[in-house]
Order: sequence, then structure tokens, then C-alpha cells
Amino acid sequence: MESYILDTLIYSNLLTIIVIGFTLTYMIAKIPNFAHGTYAVVGGYVAFTINKILGYNPYLATPLAFLLVGLIASSQYYFVIRPMLRLKASPLSLTITTIAMEIILTAGIGMYVEYISKTLGIYGVYPAAFILKQADFDIIGLPGIFVISSLLVITLIISLYIFLTKTKIGVTLRAIIEDDELATVYGANVERTNILSWFLIGGLAGMAGGLFPLYYQMTPLTGTYMIVSIFAGSILGGITSIYTSVLGGYIVGLSETLGVIYLSKIFGPQIVAYRLAIPLLILIFTLMFLPRGFSGLIDEYLEKRIVKKIS
Amino acid sequence: MVFVAIYVILTISLNLQYGYAGIPNFGLVAFVALGGYVSGALTGRIAMIYYGINARGLDYIEDNTKIILMLNNYLSKDPLGGLLIFFTTIILSILAGALLAYIVSYPVIRLRADYLIITLIGIGELMRLIGVNYTPLVGGTLWVGVPNLFIWAKPYDTLLIVGIIVLFTILIYIFTELLTSSPYGRTLKALREDDVTLRFMGKKIDSIKIQVLIIGSSLASIAGVLLAIYLGVVIASSYIRSDWTYWPWLMMLIGGRGNNKGAVVGASTIVVARQLVAIYKHDIEHFFPFSVVWLEQLLLGILLILFVIFRPQGILPEKPSKIRGVDLEKIYREIKERA
Repeated sequence: MESYILDTLIYSNLLTIIVIGFTLTYMIAKIPNFAHGTYAVVGGYVAFTINKILGYNPYLATPLAFLLVGLIASSQYYFVIRPMLRLKASPLSLTITTIAMEIILTAGIGMYVEYISKTLGIYGVYPAAFILKQADFDIIGLPGIFVISSLLVITLIISLYIFLTKTKIGVTLRAIIEDDELATVYGANVERTNILSWFLIGGLAGMAGGLFPLYYQMTPLTGTYMIVSIFAGSILGGITSIYTSVLGGYIVGLSETLGVIYLSKIFGPQIVAYRLAIPLLILIFTLMFLPRGFSGLIDEYLEKRIVKKIS
Repeated sequence: MVFVAIYVILTISLNLQYGYAGIPNFGLVAFVALGGYVSGALTGRIAMIYYGINARGLDYIEDNTKIILMLNNYLSKDPLGGLLIFFTTIILSILAGALLAYIVSYPVIRLRADYLIITLIGIGELMRLIGVNYTPLVGGTLWVGVPNLFIWAKPYDTLLIVGIIVLFTILIYIFTELLTSSPYGRTLKALREDDVTLRFMGKKIDSIKIQVLIIGSSLASIAGVLLAIYLGVVIASSYIRSDWTYWPWLMMLIGGRGNNKGAVVGASTIVVARQLVAIYKHDIEHFFPFSVVWLEQLLLGILLILFVIFRPQGILPEKPSKIRGVDLEKIYREIKERA
């Protein structure tokens, strides 16, 4: 396969996994979690630790990354978001706290990176910007990460569908998303469901982040830059459906990678540095012309049909 | 001292946009950078044209040091020229800031708070990327010097620059106070609280929002110019989100929104605290195996969360609108007496 096709698909796969989690958070908490990109970076550094420091295969980091970031996410819910909801904080204040969380997490990663550099730098361990591609294995001639990330996206979509429609917790989650007070009346345990959901969402982001360095270089600031793409993918897909967010994630991922390749053929390689402009432009155009995203289109269609039926 | 003044301007600007009008501008860094770019890219070139040395086949970026030396030479004997170029730069930065704000506000103005935030953050990052990667602008990953427009006042030139910056800060403070205690200011507060009613009353909300964004952003650009002139250099990679958007947000939240005095309090406390950290860096670093930069970031995040949860109104809470010529206190007292 052409290497650029691999590049684009791997990036889009991982981005989409992160976008799905981000959209879920938006649906549950009704606010964007700016720390979501940084969740992925934490996962990436777990992979770094497992591989470069402890010497194991980085794929083994996946479950650990899932657990660690899941824990961080549910802590963010339990210690920051829940008390604020109790105090009837405005959505803007909540959003500011997610930004603050992003700052704190990045600081934590930065501290870890410097600590490792100071104590282990002499062994050639450079966490400030690392890549684990060399530790990957091949499957039928393709990089393992390609196969795994693609399989992961498909498995994720199917698992989420089953989770949300067939399991008690999943259905409860959907009820809470619709109307949490009413759900409580019906016996839903909002607290427990929220904690679990945030754990899951964080875990997903951590997992994707743990796989990211198997193909791409990662630095402590990767998440901070990625949040624009994540946001764009989520808004384009529409924040009312995780299935359309898959579409949004892929469109943004593919546009970003293919766009950069195409533009560099026209303007030369220095255009690569402006990569951030692509998801930003997608974001702006979406907000101007399609503010509710693809799922908004579906919702509008459904709403029109309902109105027709009523009248 | 200078940084207190500059951050006070930024906090006041942010306060105007968010504290009074309720528009969360998380792209402040874009306008500070713009002011810096105007100083970096235009001031020197204007000076070159003014002194007629631009035809000598010199590239502004490549031969920057040489050009700055030449310009400083001219400027050391020409106070009028220095002041003229200075004010031209300020006016240009106001225009540039207003223009950028206008262009940016177009897609952004009708958006909900969270969409506005990410779009502005993105634009802030983009400004920085442009500065770092487009070398002809401000020297890309290196830097560009700013001619010392006040070199004619040696040995008092630094003092003069500081004085002018403080003067600007005071003027901006007075300007904002007048603006916010006027009917326009009350409209802004109404916009923040209940824009639906405002629409009913016939006010054009979108235009008002755009105006506020333009005014606030121009103030931020002025701050950017003053900063660049004080430092004498413009380094594109220094315009990071953290320093120029997040810290001012914390300053505004601490000082109290809708409150210009609070802006001063917030900005001063934070700048002083950070300077102290910078001075005692070595002693602090002894205890930790990493640089203090991350501790500062950690502190920023924690303080943001704490203030948003526990004291969203800030240290100096917002007082009801001042109405010039009307003494609210007296009216309250009279009402109390009669009751």
C-alpha cells in the first residue's frame, strides 16, 4: 500500500476513536472536555514508559493506558464536575474547568517527562518527543498498528452499539443523556452511571493515545494541538450521535492528512506547519453552515416528520 | 512593573469582553501577537522609509541587526521621529487589531460559548503558527528586533518607555471606566445577563458583540505593541496560549469580572507572584526534579478550578452599574429611610 494511504488511515482511525469519546462526553456532560486530547497524551506516555523504560511491547500498554486514563477521567468527573453541577455552575464555568484540567494534565506530563529525562536521559531515553514505530510488528506486510487501529474502530462501534442498546448500564446512560431527572424517577443511579461512563470515555482516549506513538511522534503538547481536530470532528459529526461522529472524525482526519499532502505539492513542504488550519477551517465552516453537524441533519429530518405526523 | 501594566491592560480588555458583555474570548493571544507582529514587521520598516534607507538592498529580516543599529543611530538624534513612529505604530496596531477582530467575529459571533472558545483558541494557535513559520513576517523561529524609538532620551530611555506604558495603562483604565459607566456599558451588562430582552428592546445584539470584540481586541493589540517596544524584540514562538490567554483569564477571574479595579488587583497579584517564582526559581527547583515552569502551569490550572468553583465573583465583587450623575447610595438610603 502507498505509504500515504497508511498514514491517513491510521491517523483517522485513532482520531475517530478519540472523537467518539469526546462526543460521548459532550452528550453526557453537555460541555466539551478540553482535556480529552491530553487524555490521549497520557495514554501515549504510558506506552512510552512500558516500551522505552520497562522494555515491553508497547501494545501491552493498551490495557494499562485504558485503566489509568479512565481513572483520571472519572476523578475529573467526581472531584470537579460533580461538585460544580451541585453548585449549579454555568456551562461556561464547567468548560473553563476542563481547560484548567488540560493545563494541569499537561503540567503533570511535562513534569514526568523532565523527571525521566533527568534520571534516565543518559540511557538514551528521550520522552520529550518520542515515537515507538520501531516496536511495531507487521501483519501481512502492513504495519500492525494499521490493522489493529482499523479493527479497533470497527469493534468499538459494534461494542458501543451493543452496550448502549442491550446492556442495562448503556440503556440507563441513554436515558440519563435524554433527561436525567426523569431517569432518576425511573430508578437510574445517575452518579454511578456517570462515574462509569467517564471511566470508559477516558479509557478509550487513553487507549487511542497509547497506540498513537506506534506510528506518529508524540510530545507533551500533542494533545493540546489535537483538540482542534477532535472538536472539529465531533461538531461535524454532530454532538447528538456517536455514529455520525465516526463520519466526522474520518472526514477531519482524512482532510487533515490528505490536505497537507495535496497542499505541500502545490505550495511546497513548508505548508506542513500550518496543518492546524485545516481542522480549524472545517470547524468554522461547520459552525457557519451546518451548526448541528451531520446528526443535526438527521435530527432535523426526524423533527420535520414528527411535526408532520402531529399536524 | 511594566509587566503589571501590560497585563492590567490585557485583563481590562478581557474584562470588557467577558466580564461586561459575556463574550468569552479565549483567543486573546492572537491579538497580543498581532500587536507584536505590527511592531516587529512594520515599525522598523516604517522607520527605514522615514529615514530613507530602505533602498540599499537590505532585507529587513536577514540584515535585521544591522538595520536596527542604523535606525537606532538615526533615532538617537531625532526625538520627533521616534515619537512619530511610535504613535504610527500604535494607531496601526489598533487598526490591525480591529480588522482582525472584525474578520474573526464574522463566523464566531452567533455561536454558543463553547464553540466560540474553541474557534478563538484555534485562531490564537494559528496566529502563532503564522508568526513562527512565515519568516518574512517576524523572523520565524528566530526573532526580529524593534528599533528603540526612545533612544534619544538616553540614559532615561527605559524609564521613559516604562512611564509611557504606565500612562497608556492609566488612560485605558479611564477609557474603560467611562465606557462601562455610560449607557453603552449598561447595555453590555444587559447583553451578558439577558440578551433576549435586549433583542426585544430593539438593540442589535450582533453589532454590539462585534463592537465589543473590536474594542477589546484593539486594547490587547496595544498591549502587544507596548510589550514589543519594551522588550526590543519580537519572538513569534513566545506568544503561547498559556501566557497570554490563560493567565489573563485567571487574573480576571481573581480580580472579579465586571470590575475594572478587580482587573488591576488580579493582574498585579499574579504578575508579582510569578516574578517571585522566577526570582526564587533556584531555591524551588532544588526540591523538584523538574523545572518550575510546570509547577507554574499546575498552579494556573488549580487556581482556575478553585476560583471557578469557590469564588466565581472574584476578590472584588461586582457592584451595580455606576450611573454618572446619579448617586445610587443616596437613593438606597432614602428608600430605606422611607420604608
